[in-house]
Amino acid sequence: MIRENDKVLSIQNLTMTYGGKKVLNGINLEVARGEIIGYIGPNGAGKSTTVKIMLGLIDDYQGQVVIFGQDISSGDPSYKKKIGYVPENAEAYDNLTAMEYLVFTGELYGMDRDAAQSKAERLLRQFELQDVGHSRLSSFSKGMKQKVLIIASLLHDPDLLFWDEPLSGLDANSMMVIQEILAQLAAQGKTIFYSSHIMDLVEKISNRIVLLVKGEVVADATFEELKEMSEEGSLSGIFNQLTGFTEHRSKAKDFVSIVQGDEEYA
Amino acid sequence: MREFQSLKFLGAFKGIFTRFGVDYAVMEKILRIKLTMDERRVPTIFGDTGKKKKEGNQFLKSLWVYGLYSLILIPFLLLGENYMYQLSLVFGMILFILMTSMISDFSVVLLDIRDKNIIQTKPVNKQTIAAAKIVHIMIYMTFVAGAFTTIPFLVSLFRHGIVFSLIFLFELVLTILLVVVLTSLLYLFILRFFDGEKLKDIINYVQILLSVGVVVGYQVLIRSFEFVDLNMAYAFSWWHFLIPPLWYGAPFEVFLNGNSSSHFIAFTVFAVLVPVIAIFGYAKLMPSFERNLEKLLSDTKTRKKSRNWLDEAGAKWLCRSNEERVFYRFAASMMKKEREFKLKVFPVLGMSLFFPFLFIFTYSVDGGLEEISGGNMFMFIYFCNVIIPSVVFMLKFSEGYKGSWLFRAAPIEQASSAYSGTLKAFIVKMYVPVFVFLSVIFLWIFSVRILPDLAAVLLGGLLQILITYRIVNEGEFPFSTSFEFAQESGGAKMLLLTLITGAFIGAHFLANAFDYGIYVYLGVLLLAVGIGWRLVFPKRKKATVAFG
Repeated sequence: MIRENDKVLSIQNLTMTYGGKKVLNGINLEVARGEIIGYIGPNGAGKSTTVKIMLGLIDDYQGQVVIFGQDISSGDPSYKKKIGYVPENAEAYDNLTAMEYLVFTGELYGMDRDAAQSKAERLLRQFELQDVGHSRLSSFSKGMKQKVLIIASLLHDPDLLFWDEPLSGLDANSMMVIQEILAQLAAQGKTIFYSSHIMDLVEKISNRIVLLVKGEVVADATFEELKEMSEEGSLSGIFNQLTGFTEHRSKAKDFVSIVQGDEEYA
Repeated sequence: MREFQSLKFLGAFKGIFTRFGVDYAVMEKILRIKLTMDERRVPTIFGDTGKKKKEGNQFLKSLWVYGLYSLILIPFLLLGENYMYQLSLVFGMILFILMTSMISDFSVVLLDIRDKNIIQTKPVNKQTIAAAKIVHIMIYMTFVAGAFTTIPFLVSLFRHGIVFSLIFLFELVLTILLVVVLTSLLYLFILRFFDGEKLKDIINYVQILLSVGVVVGYQVLIRSFEFVDLNMAYAFSWWHFLIPPLWYGAPFEVFLNGNSSSHFIAFTVFAVLVPVIAIFGYAKLMPSFERNLEKLLSDTKTRKKSRNWLDEAGAKWLCRSNEERVFYRFAASMMKKEREFKLKVFPVLGMSLFFPFLFIFTYSVDGGLEEISGGNMFMFIYFCNVIIPSVVFMLKFSEGYKGSWLFRAAPIEQASSAYSGTLKAFIVKMYVPVFVFLSVIFLWIFSVRILPDLAAVLLGGLLQILITYRIVNEGEFPFSTSFEFAQESGGAKMLLLTLITGAFIGAHFLANAFDYGIYVYLGVLLLAVGIGWRLVFPKRKKATVAFG
């Protein structure tokens, strides 16, 4: 198992009930330094809920969550200093310019204003966004905004990253850059917790895949191990198999036939 | 980003915040960002490139209106030394202004969920986030209160001296606290018990009710005081403890008139203690508020599809083409479901229900119902036409305005049917119900003799809807503009359009001056509506679409 001082994150028996419905059903997870974890699962499986709990956005959960050796239920937010977060749906204060937003985020993480400023400028240049640094985020395309949010999550050099659908809206070239950044960050001992619906990508990037279905971990292994366990050759195949979804062909057929008006109540 | 004077001033209270466990430096950063964003609350399309660039805080620029309103306080300050009555009234109005402004302008700030994902994921403690939120609102409330009380304050300093104005100032701070914190606690209470979409609906209705309620209460208060002798001694009842303005009238009695009756002392204690207790309660409950805020994002219930036979019938019988029918149904459900729209429109509708009666009863205290029923008071029903311009204007706005690409992408043959459908839905769903409600009661008061007059009001209303549409909305699709535009482009045009109602009233009176004049007038109106509708929404020949 993982050595104690390598342990970045540990979740024990995490349950979460929302409106009488069990959203998380006893999750156990241990994460070590340098792992890139692809956190996958169908819509509504509880992925975002888990991430939100770990970030302290939800606090009425049961079970124990320990990050960097600190039980997060204590209410002390200092463990967040070494965490970087890219929210799903690219939420940000759109009326701010990219630079303002980045400096603000840096400052909230306790960075010095000038340091945040110069670092943000240099990182923007790497994504060729230096010319729009002083334009408002509301004028940005989805991909550009996503890049700004990725920079915002890395500005303070965190040790643990939570990225929720980080690649949405990015073009193929940018995706490759991000993919490489992730690999190099992990090689330097950063831990990356990553959720996406793009299976090909998760397959390529992650060195460990955690599959969540209906609030439970149904698989937790490397891609190779998963391949051995199932007869499917690709992660999306494995995903379908483990989530018990096999009728995609017949579903598609029904769908198309309705589109074409074969049903009598079209 | 620039430095803000308000933040410099806030620095003086650093110690207090630190004692509450707030990280002052971080709070200042959050506030600076928030204030910067407020300055930019301009439509995004102009934001970066447009020539019509408008920088600066639009809200602060509108503060002079409050200065104007504040003149109404001056007579109450000058009148005499019956402090209990005068100052209860003054503080009643201050509370009214602050409360309305709080609910209509700052509920958004209080219920902002972006803060959660953006700030709470950073190493910032909860006290700091809560404090930043409330201070942000407090800064604006101080501006509102400042604009509303500066002139009265100077007047009172001149008239009543320094002690009076010091009490006044101190109480002002307390009232701001009271309003902000009580509103937050109210939301907190609602958030505690309901969830998801239901919750948003409830908040929406509370906002609507409160904004109608304060206007109505204000009118009633003012009028009730017209009959009260200002020299009359104040008589205490236990339920007066439920009326906050009275708490704030009492200290003046106690300190300036040396009145030490136990209930005045108790009021004074209430005036100070309630806001302070509320602040502590707020600090304690804020975490659960933030937690429940999460509910705003999710909706766990599945809802049944509902079909309204009235909408179906309206669409079927009132619309001439299928396209128009589609827009009729669309507009009907938008009016029913869109909260921002309801928030802007329902209070106006509520007032049009209320004002006719208010005026009838205030202008006829002597004669009673008998006297009223013989007179011309039924003309007050025109209040339901006065609201037409502002509501019709609102029809082009929507929270989901971005979805309007659909109108351009879909093969719509006749764009004007979009608005004719929408206007018909407005008439059926909003105008006619208000009109019918008023008519029934008016018929009861004034007897059936006013039937032709009511018909003239209705036709006049229809014509006015058409005119308003023609002037403010033509050439655009309904529900296709951001509400951010609603504030700036209203103004003078709206006022002029409201005056059209005056023209209708004039014509109506003129018609009534002659025997059977009203029937001639009715005929003219009927013709005008018929022709007007065909002119504004011409029935074009069907264009043939030549695809594949």
